[in-house]
Amino acid sequence: MDLAFTPEEQSFREDIRAWVAANLPADISHKVLNALHLSRDDMQRWAKILGKKGWLGHGWPQEFGGPGWNSVQKHLFEEECALAGAPRVVPFGPVMVAPVIMAFGNAAQQARFLPGIGSGDVWWSQGYSEPGAGSDLASLKTRAERRGSSYIVNGQKTWTTLGQYGDWIFCLVRTSNDGKPQTGISFLLIDMQSPGVTVRPIRLLDGSVEVNEVFFDNVEVPAENLIGEENKGWTYAKHLLSHERTNIADVNRAKRELERLKRIAKAEGVYDDLRFRDEIARLEIDVVALEMMVLRVLAAEKSGKQSLDIAGLLKIRGSEIQQRYSELMMLAAGPYALPLIHEAMEAGWQGDAVGALHCAPLASTYLNMRKTTIYGGSNEVQRNIVAQVVLG
Amino acid sequence: MDFDFSEDQDQLRDAVRKWVEKAYTFERRRAVAADGGFSADAYRELAELGLTGLYIPEELGGLGMGPVEGMIVLEELGRGIVLEPLAQALIAGAVMSNHAPKALASTWAPLIASGEKMAVLAYQERASRYRLDSCNTTASRQGDHWSLTGNKSLVVAGDNADAWMVSASADGEIGLFWVEKQASGASTRGYGTIDGACAAELTLKGTPAQLISEDGMAALEHAVDVGIAATCAEAVGVMEKTLAITVDYMNARKQFGVVIGSFQALKHRVADMKMQLELARSMSYYASLKLGAPPAERRAAMARAKFQLGQSMRYIGQQAIQLHGGIGVTDEYIVSHYFKRLTQMEMVFGDSLHQLSEVSSRMQSSAGVFA
Repeated sequence: MDLAFTPEEQSFREDIRAWVAANLPADISHKVLNALHLSRDDMQRWAKILGKKGWLGHGWPQEFGGPGWNSVQKHLFEEECALAGAPRVVPFGPVMVAPVIMAFGNAAQQARFLPGIGSGDVWWSQGYSEPGAGSDLASLKTRAERRGSSYIVNGQKTWTTLGQYGDWIFCLVRTSNDGKPQTGISFLLIDMQSPGVTVRPIRLLDGSVEVNEVFFDNVEVPAENLIGEENKGWTYAKHLLSHERTNIADVNRAKRELERLKRIAKAEGVYDDLRFRDEIARLEIDVVALEMMVLRVLAAEKSGKQSLDIAGLLKIRGSEIQQRYSELMMLAAGPYALPLIHEAMEAGWQGDAVGALHCAPLASTYLNMRKTTIYGGSNEVQRNIVAQVVLG
Repeated sequence: MDFDFSEDQDQLRDAVRKWVEKAYTFERRRAVAADGGFSADAYRELAELGLTGLYIPEELGGLGMGPVEGMIVLEELGRGIVLEPLAQALIAGAVMSNHAPKALASTWAPLIASGEKMAVLAYQERASRYRLDSCNTTASRQGDHWSLTGNKSLVVAGDNADAWMVSASADGEIGLFWVEKQASGASTRGYGTIDGACAAELTLKGTPAQLISEDGMAALEHAVDVGIAATCAEAVGVMEKTLAITVDYMNARKQFGVVIGSFQALKHRVADMKMQLELARSMSYYASLKLGAPPAERRAAMARAKFQLGQSMRYIGQQAIQLHGGIGVTDEYIVSHYFKRLTQMEMVFGDSLHQLSEVSSRMQSSAGVFA
């Protein structure tokens, strides 16, 4: 047993750090490190920089152009990006639909869709949840009826993250009502420019427009956009979930934000308040423990000797920690978390934020973070799954 | 970065697990607890397995093993809530190997390794709570001879020990000293502790002692850190078994026509217990893997680990009782004994709030495992 990274892993980390330092635009990292508003252009700029290097799909198999990194290398890459203030990669293209196209799509689909995903040129959205199908996703109703060489799609998706920027959307649609709900679902790729597709933004409690409703009104989708076989879509979607995904713990960002919390607490004069300091200490211990859990999972993947069935724990804990550091940062700002001055959350603003500039985004971030224990499989559902493993 | 165990380590775990399952049943433990909380026979059996010499170099009769082996052994002993304090043998081994003068080590290390003699740490005092640097026991020197005067408290199995490692203050500096049982002026008053084991108050009156280390704080902190890592490891074993006992009960106990494990509120409680167990296991690995780090880093790591373990022990122990309903609070049923051991371990080597204060005061501007 050994905690240290190998010399090769260390050297890999250093190479990544150097590349990120040379290629991550300073105006983008400034916004990320200070929780300022990121535009579509900011996010896509970074995606294209990664794409050009072949690192947007950094988890892709080598046969599809991936760099062939093991679990530790992927973790180190993600860590160096997070610590340097790179934006989160929008996962829907490179992390969610691409593996499905690779595993279950045909050669024509792979040739048509993967290059645009890998380069960062094409923005993908996810069409899963519906107003009546959240935790109970299998009960989804958006239907796709086969007519000739097309599917006609009718229905509504919701919580479509950044759907307002999407070029394409991958959808779970109902193609049969026979048998159990899961067995009547298909996986369909839809061009968001198609007639009949309407995107309506949903304003969240922090004022942001991060998610959308997407309406499908007799949308004609060529049948060749069906992935794999009809009514097998649920299996394809679950394929993604069967891999250990340590990055759901988001521990790298947690470390970065913990340091930011300390800086803000010092600036606001609460770091020397022992009561506040102890709250930070508790969170620090939580971050260390989460990091150790992530490393255990990574090491198990790397050696292949034992598999650790604790992915659900990583999501639960990671999301709780995200909420906690956003909460503590807001509390550090105290009363100066309260002013809601939108301009102060844009980079380069020079006005009076009523309180320090670093206070301006803190309450909004806290409000926004309430989503983390809800999305990606709510923490209650995750607990059901963990309990299933333990109780048998 | 590797968390696999070697074949030898797996075999060590297996050997200890088998001994606990076959030779240290709950019934035997109950009998030992009723009879003073320490069995010389059981201690001898641990010695026969080589465990008392785990941290003692081979040339001095031990197994010459390291923190990972210590962690494995303590986890297994924790599963059986074994009363005999092997952690003290690990502490003694570490002190012999790293701090004791050659003469003392060559005499005593083989005896500790063979199990013939037992040495325990005696550092706590009533006025000091968990602090290591506060010591009213004094050490005075005449030429090469030292003598100690004072009172040490909560000395684990103190009245069964053949020697004590005692912290005492000489001219305001803390030194660590070796005191033999028969030394003049030394007396103990033994008593039971809530977990079924035993401890003692140790009184020293001009008692002759040998100097272990002039840099007493370095030696004492190291000894305590070995103890913390051992406690964390043992706690993982205790919690693992506590959860297993609880799961078995939830899958067997029926009310309202169904097993209680089918109720979602209780499923979620189990999920939260599993979370605490894995966080604790992760931090126990961290503690053992940091035992060899430079002192400041090691101290900080132990404080973080012990805090997490404290949170996990309290949660798992309390919820295990809760999920058992009424029988959870009886003496007859096994789970309360696991809960009492978890409760005891919180207050050993510094409780959670003490550790939080340590973490807080040492906090750096950076974060994470590699901070």
